[in-house]
Amino acid sequence: MTSRRRTWLAALILASIVFPGCATVHPWDRDLLAKKSMRLVPLPHELAADDHIYFSKEGSAGGMDAAGGGCGCN
Amino acid sequence: MASPCEVLVDTDDDAEAFAAVASAREEASRIERKFSRYRTDNIVHAINHAEGRPVAVDEETAGLLDYAATCHEISEGRFDITSGVLRRAWTFDGREHAPDVGVIAAALALVGWSRATWRERTLTLPAGMEVDLGGIGKEYAVDRAATRVAEVTDAACLVNFGGDLRASGPRRGGRPWLVGVEDPAAPGAGPERRLELARGALATSGDARRFLFVNGRRLGHILDPRTGWPVAGAPRSVTVMACSCIEAGTLATLAILRGPLAASFLEEQGVQHWLID
Amino acid sequence: MQLSAASTAANVRQRLGAAACLLLAGSLPAAAQAPAPPAWQLEATGLLYGEQARARVVEPMGRVTRLYANGRALSLGLAVDAVTGASPTGALPSSQVQTTTGASGRTTTTTTSSSILPTHTFEDLRTAVDLGWVEPLGTMLSVTTSAHYSREQDYASLGGGLKSSVELPGRRITLTLGGGYNRDRVFPSGGTPMGLAPDSDPRTPGDNPKEVTTGLVGLSHVVSRRWLLGVTASESREQGYLTDPYKVVSLVDPATQLPVAQVTEKRPATRTRDDVLGSSVYHLDHDILYVNYRYYWDDWGVRSHTLDLKLRHVLGVASWVQPHVRVYGQAPAWFFVYGLTHGPPLPEFASADERLGPLRTTTFGGTYGFHVPGSRGEFTLRAELLYQWLVGHPPQPDEAASGGGGGDDNLRRAIAAGDNGTDDGRHLGTRIGTLLIGYAVPF
Repeated sequence: MTSRRRTWLAALILASIVFPGCATVHPWDRDLLAKKSMRLVPLPHELAADDHIYFSKEGSAGGMDAAGGGCGCN
Repeated sequence: MASPCEVLVDTDDDAEAFAAVASAREEASRIERKFSRYRTDNIVHAINHAEGRPVAVDEETAGLLDYAATCHEISEGRFDITSGVLRRAWTFDGREHAPDVGVIAAALALVGWSRATWRERTLTLPAGMEVDLGGIGKEYAVDRAATRVAEVTDAACLVNFGGDLRASGPRRGGRPWLVGVEDPAAPGAGPERRLELARGALATSGDARRFLFVNGRRLGHILDPRTGWPVAGAPRSVTVMACSCIEAGTLATLAILRGPLAASFLEEQGVQHWLID
Repeated sequence: MQLSAASTAANVRQRLGAAACLLLAGSLPAAAQAPAPPAWQLEATGLLYGEQARARVVEPMGRVTRLYANGRALSLGLAVDAVTGASPTGALPSSQVQTTTGASGRTTTTTTSSSILPTHTFEDLRTAVDLGWVEPLGTMLSVTTSAHYSREQDYASLGGGLKSSVELPGRRITLTLGGGYNRDRVFPSGGTPMGLAPDSDPRTPGDNPKEVTTGLVGLSHVVSRRWLLGVTASESREQGYLTDPYKVVSLVDPATQLPVAQVTEKRPATRTRDDVLGSSVYHLDHDILYVNYRYYWDDWGVRSHTLDLKLRHVLGVASWVQPHVRVYGQAPAWFFVYGLTHGPPLPEFASADERLGPLRTTTFGGTYGFHVPGSRGEFTLRAELLYQWLVGHPPQPDEAASGGGGGDDNLRRAIAAGDNGTDDGRHLGTRIGTLLIGYAVPF
């Protein structure tokens, strides 16, 4: 992927993250967000197992965690 | 408490603010654990599953039951902590429902504080009956939490559990707290009205979030224990100010229980109140 | 005597006021010691993994976290992978005898049928340990430091990472910046083969180093009361020994179209990987929808799209079910080949490892979770089925040299027969089943 395409992709993603959020979220609107299941990674142990499985069966790398361990499997 | 709870502390000291919030939260958790009807390990569960046997209660529970008994009397039976079983007949999810008369009648047979024996710190409920302190529990928690917070800090604090609140004193510089009253027709939007509160308590009763429709008519979730039906003709929202939160909350509930006479009831009581129809 | 309305009213208010006073004047109950917030968190997980007729993995994992007052935490994790089974060598099936060596250095496998893909068997045990420390700085900033070490029969990895998160004022946007460094050693059983050399050539004993440096930047955004969005971009650079020492590439005789020899594979000594991940968590009326999309690309030509969907549905008070679908598609590395032509000089790099090929993976499964009554723990059970295959026409073994045209029918048939037995352009299909059991409890 050319670096120009990369820049466009990054800008698009950043825009789609920042723009939807023009409404205010008050502290009292955080009831649902306080749930443990309302996180980007609700079950970390499943993510760790998946990272391991797909890392050793596919050509891509996880990318979720900068400090992931290594293994001789990819 | 099933609602967002907050403590506002007028201070610049982080540690003081955290201490105030922590003590309020501890007290609220304690009361919730002790009086929630959803738990299986507290006095309320014991009372509701005693199958007609007498249950001895502690000083705090006795105080609440005494208070509930007084409310029952002064409201001529409209305020009744045994009316919780009526929830089996109604689903307040905002949709149209046709109530089952049979279920209501069956539930009504298990309602009536007069059927209970409350004497010498012992409560005897006929089998099948339940007490539900949800109607006064939150306001009581506000008062207790406010007291705890006042023990921990001298800063002006406002304790607000789901809209029932109490302020210990005005903010620095004598400025009052600004409290918004939600418009029941638009719960998420901005406040319908703003009140200034220097000291005292505010409680609101209404049908903003829990209601249903019967034959196109909107009914709130407060049930009249004498008929088993939601109170009809009551204002959509009643806010009352009093010295303590439990007083304010009870007056608001008593007003709604009067249905169309809510306004005149509150005027007779001579309390500051705000209604939204 | 008839009481006037006014005096009755005053009666009500007076009585109520008096009752409230009485209730609230009661001395506050001796504060029952509220249970202290949990100081420890324990998580135990077990993974069972099986590929049809091939590898089996059993992996227990445990983690203990000590939580401190102001949000600091120390966590120690341990995982043990026991892997047994067989993995394709990359060689093409043929009716000639082919011998291969195994990773554990002990077993050799011979295949004599053109319908079975050559594999090598192995047994391996991998142990990994990691340590992490979370230190909040103030109320908006948090720094996590981590270190890990893992060791298996032919690979050792040591590394560390640093990650910091800052919440922007308003507490709706969180920025994360992280970096990691790994220093690995590869010491294949039987020594390191010379790349693209005959299998039987002598192998060099000793270690091969490998370095991986990673950087990531992330942003998470609370869009509304129900919606959380996140985006993460990361890049990692690897250098050192990146070849798989046990994989081979078949050399095919152009006349007979049958594999006649094999050479060990060879990959470049550097690799730069990039990826962008977008995540969304949306709370519907009762359920929560998780959508994740990742685009990956690297300088070996591998590009992939991953789409992952989960829906958490609450059943009753304390249990939930979460069905899951994941779809993955990958474009092959530029040096990926199914086989090379025997005769012409070999290219600089070549690998027949299906994991660098035009791969598709589809996963279906679900998790069931519930809160264990009486404790504060949560138990989860996940069962999944993965189906993985390569797509596209099996290309000429060496497109440039073979000059196009027919004659590769035998080769196609040989490849197709080596897997699912049908000649539908899909091949090397594998079915994988996994079972993941987890239990997490604070105390």
